Amino acid sequence: MEHTPEATPGERRTFAPRTITVRLQPKEQLLTMPREKTVLQVLRKLGIRPTTAIVVRDGGLLTPDREVLPDDELLIRIVTSSG
Amino acid sequence: MKCKRCKETAVVSLPSHHTGFCAECFLLFFTRQVERGIKERKLFTHDDRILVALSGGKDSLSLMLELSRLGYDVTGLHIDLAIPGSSPAARGVVERFCEKHGLNLIVKEMGAEGLAIPDVKARLNRPVCSACGKIKRYFFNKTALDENFTVLATGHNLDDEIARLFSNTLRWDVAYLSDQGPDLAADGGFARKVKPLWRLSEFETANYAFLMGIEHHYAPCPYSGGASFTFYKKLWTDLEEEMPGRKLDFYQGFLERGRPVFARADNEDGVDLSGCTRCGYPTSNEVCGVCRIRDALRDKPVGAEGTDGADNTERTE
Repeated sequence: MEHTPEATPGERRTFAPRTITVRLQPKEQLLTMPREKTVLQVLRKLGIRPTTAIVVRDGGLLTPDREVLPDDELLIRIVTSSG
Repeated sequence: MKCKRCKETAVVSLPSHHTGFCAECFLLFFTRQVERGIKERKLFTHDDRILVALSGGKDSLSLMLELSRLGYDVTGLHIDLAIPGSSPAARGVVERFCEKHGLNLIVKEMGAEGLAIPDVKARLNRPVCSACGKIKRYFFNKTALDENFTVLATGHNLDDEIARLFSNTLRWDVAYLSDQGPDLAADGGFARKVKPLWRLSEFETANYAFLMGIEHHYAPCPYSGGASFTFYKKLWTDLEEEMPGRKLDFYQGFLERGRPVFARADNEDGVDLSGCTRCGYPTSNEVCGVCRIRDALRDKPVGAEGTDGADNTERTE
């Protein structure tokens, strides 16, 4: 849980945004986006069908049901070839 | 999600098979699908000399590695299309792959053949994809025959085959529907051609390539932006998500019940092929499509009325 230091009475508590970083291939785009709970939700947010991309975290493949953590760095590689 | 086989955490989810696998079990699944695809269609045996067309993409490199692991006699063939930026990268990937795994490789340079794809593109009135495919198939076939390979294998996967079948069906192209499939017999100047990955989706091959540590060329061809097959693949991805397993059902149904009907129709009404008067390649015309492209490159300045080397009766695979 990341948030600002303890708020004083009457002061509104603000939360630091929870984000993840996504490297999209083959376009080689680097995106910072609000954290979603699962890989599937990240893919949906990006408009990517689960069976058209592999998702990698720390060198390992992730299935769509896996949890995404704050500050995660994901590699999403679209695998549909053209032509 | 747990691996269906060993109950470890799954790393690959396969909705089409209603299952998921850990890395080790997925690789076993992949191998079994390749073996099943080879045996079901009697594609080749361990006695065959197999020439594998290597583009540098995940599918062809995965095919080459898996056939090698299964003990088949394989040699790679890479066609260097001479497209600036793209071709050197693809060729480098293929050369490093073959060196790493100790695999034989033949490289054919289209620049040296007078068929550099940028030059072909500059002289066509239509997208270059059709002519590029024609040139590649020509050299696949020529190399297989010249070098005495008994089988030519390509990395076409289930998604490629479905997109092609869909395209052929939309046009009710009897000639193409009569012989589309993972197995094409040697016939009249054509080498035997096979597609051992026909049971596996592009997604499955991509996972295999990742898990096997295959460095591959994944940047799209700079000329393929409007390719219709890409659009058909998207349509079928949507359908498959709603109806898992439909792709393989559709394709297998075609092979069992559709292709034989079209083959009979084509035998009755099909056009006979004869050897190109210049090079001997099978064609419905006096001069084959590739020789006509050569003529266009030699004779016509850039911007003049072009050619597509159209020759609708050549085999597409």
